[in-house]
Amino acid sequence: MTAGGFGFLTRRRVLALGGVGASALLVGGGVRSLLSGAPPVSGLGVLAAREYRTLDALAKTLIPRGGPFEIGADRFDLARAFDGFLQGEPPANVEKLRRALLLFELGPLLFEKRWAAFSQLPDAERLKHYEAWANSDTLLRRQVAIAFRKFMALVFYDSPEVWPHIGYPGPSLARLSP
Amino acid sequence: MKPGGSIVDLSTQAAPRGLVCDVLVIGSGSGGATAARVLAEAGREVVVLEEGADRTGKDLTQRDGAMYDQLYMDRGGRVTEDLSISVLQGRVLGGGPVVNMADVVPIPDGVLRHWQKKHGLTDFSPEALAPFRARALEDLSANPIAPEQINRANGLLRQGAEKLGLRGEVMLHNRVGCRGLGTCMLGCPLGAKQNTRFVSIPKALDKGARFFLRARAVRIEAPREEVKRVTVAVLDPHGHHPTHTFELSARVVIVAANAIASAELLLRSGIGNGHVGRHLILQPQLAVTALFDEKVRAFDGIPQAYAVTEHERDDDPEHGLWGYRIEAVMGTPGNVASVLPLGGAAGKELMAVYDRIAAALVLVPDEPSGNVQLGPSAGHPIISYRQAENHKARLREGAKLAARIYFAAGARQVFVPTSPPVVLESEADLGRVDAISLAPATAPLLSAHQQGTVRFAPSPQLGGADPDGRVYGTKGIYVFDTSGFPSSASSHTMTPVLTIAHYLSAKLANQK
Repeated sequence: MTAGGFGFLTRRRVLALGGVGASALLVGGGVRSLLSGAPPVSGLGVLAAREYRTLDALAKTLIPRGGPFEIGADRFDLARAFDGFLQGEPPANVEKLRRALLLFELGPLLFEKRWAAFSQLPDAERLKHYEAWANSDTLLRRQVAIAFRKFMALVFYDSPEVWPHIGYPGPSLARLSP
Repeated sequence: MKPGGSIVDLSTQAAPRGLVCDVLVIGSGSGGATAARVLAEAGREVVVLEEGADRTGKDLTQRDGAMYDQLYMDRGGRVTEDLSISVLQGRVLGGGPVVNMADVVPIPDGVLRHWQKKHGLTDFSPEALAPFRARALEDLSANPIAPEQINRANGLLRQGAEKLGLRGEVMLHNRVGCRGLGTCMLGCPLGAKQNTRFVSIPKALDKGARFFLRARAVRIEAPREEVKRVTVAVLDPHGHHPTHTFELSARVVIVAANAIASAELLLRSGIGNGHVGRHLILQPQLAVTALFDEKVRAFDGIPQAYAVTEHERDDDPEHGLWGYRIEAVMGTPGNVASVLPLGGAAGKELMAVYDRIAAALVLVPDEPSGNVQLGPSAGHPIISYRQAENHKARLREGAKLAARIYFAAGARQVFVPTSPPVVLESEADLGRVDAISLAPATAPLLSAHQQGTVRFAPSPQLGGADPDGRVYGTKGIYVFDTSGFPSSASSHTMTPVLTIAHYLSAKLANQK
């Protein structure tokens, strides 16, 4: 799927981006408390519960319920779909994606100097936080934002339950007259 | 040579032991399948390796997730290192033509003359290549898209262009019996595309060629010896992970895995000179969308039928093919949503009008601007590419012209899906396009025509392979694909590859 291609997330660049803060989080440290408390999630192949929580929050932020049509990401388990996607990825990509998730989760701390993780932000602030990454002057933040959004959007709008809301009648072969 | 070839999926069937063949072809797309067919017809014992599976008919479900996963390199996620350009490359028996837009655009004579003059490829004259171009067009059953096959979205692009007095054309295509399913980029379940899968591969099979699927060539050894050894990784049935390796041998190896994978294989094998992997051409394309009051239903019918060619030329003294063209396009919902930059309710609002959107791609022929390097594991190269300022300028110019065309056709709004997005309500807003930076990872650029990483040249000082396609510094290792093109061969590379592969394969077949 279009979420692949994470060669950009090298350890060197992650460290350079976050400076001392990122270095600290990558080796452990006081920020652990921000990452704790995720409820257990059964059946994951790659992701930890903490990572699942970040992705789940991001999915619901990018594709919320309501607006022009009611159905949203909460109707689907996009974070679990991402876990399934990762199982088919080369180990190096998986490692980079997990690093990207960690960076994004700790974005409020690293870039806004707030003692909070992304998944702990109020709903209204999550989208602002995401958009700050998507439109950031920093290449790495834009890259992280794009990569996760692409996956979420592709999986959500590939779902038959969504199609009636966007005027798509579904795969044309089934609609073909004999 | 044995009569009657075979297609063997190595993820479920045992790999051959100790196999030695005359010709090993790596890649089953336009270049590889054509070479396999021509050389099998010439009596050679041919084996073809293909990373993908064989997907035809109802295997092609028209669904984004499953099809990108199965039909494209890196599961559709191949991208430049900086995440700026999505690099679309087929990975399926039959290669790129299984998933392309079926546009037939031969190498213009101006480009061939440019190759002769600027790149020293004196053999590549329009006259010398004419019979091979004819064979390519015959393979493709090339025919003009009929007026009744032009859907509303293409009609709107044409209508707007004609109102503005712009040059344009209804393209040739290689569909026969098309029912307008609209999901060409996810393969055609009806098999309407007359591509390698249904033309050259059956002919190669008839002459005894063997096709091994889920087989990734990871290393070529003994490149100067009479017999080369090739290590092959067998992939799991999904094509996600290698499971084991085996080795086979061949007197001739033809690398035809596209400009990205061919270069990667040579680099991983330590084969070739310093030009290998360099001079990458991506032909970046930028999407422009337009919102109409009417239901356009661009997802029905042939997605890409009309091109505005007003600002495209094939005789630029420095570059050959240059300028830009604007072509209609449309994708399935997941594909379209993945390139739109907005989240939250705003993102949903964009998709809520999916059936009222028409879209176009601005395609910019580029000079070599990137390179291919080895990644952490075989099959996953690093693609580096730096946009030249002239690319950016032409992309902006093309986006502005596309917007003018859509407004002339009655669009309510034009939207360039950059981060942040650019929204135009009328021509008075065109200046906003100038503010698009096209900095890395700010626009959903894509590449469908990668070229140039082992470019043909008359000497090893100038390129990676000689004018016969033989990789410099090797004995009997060739590239017969887009990696040999020293500049953009055409706005769509299927027909150029078929032409060149016919030409080079015929030359090779005539050698003892």
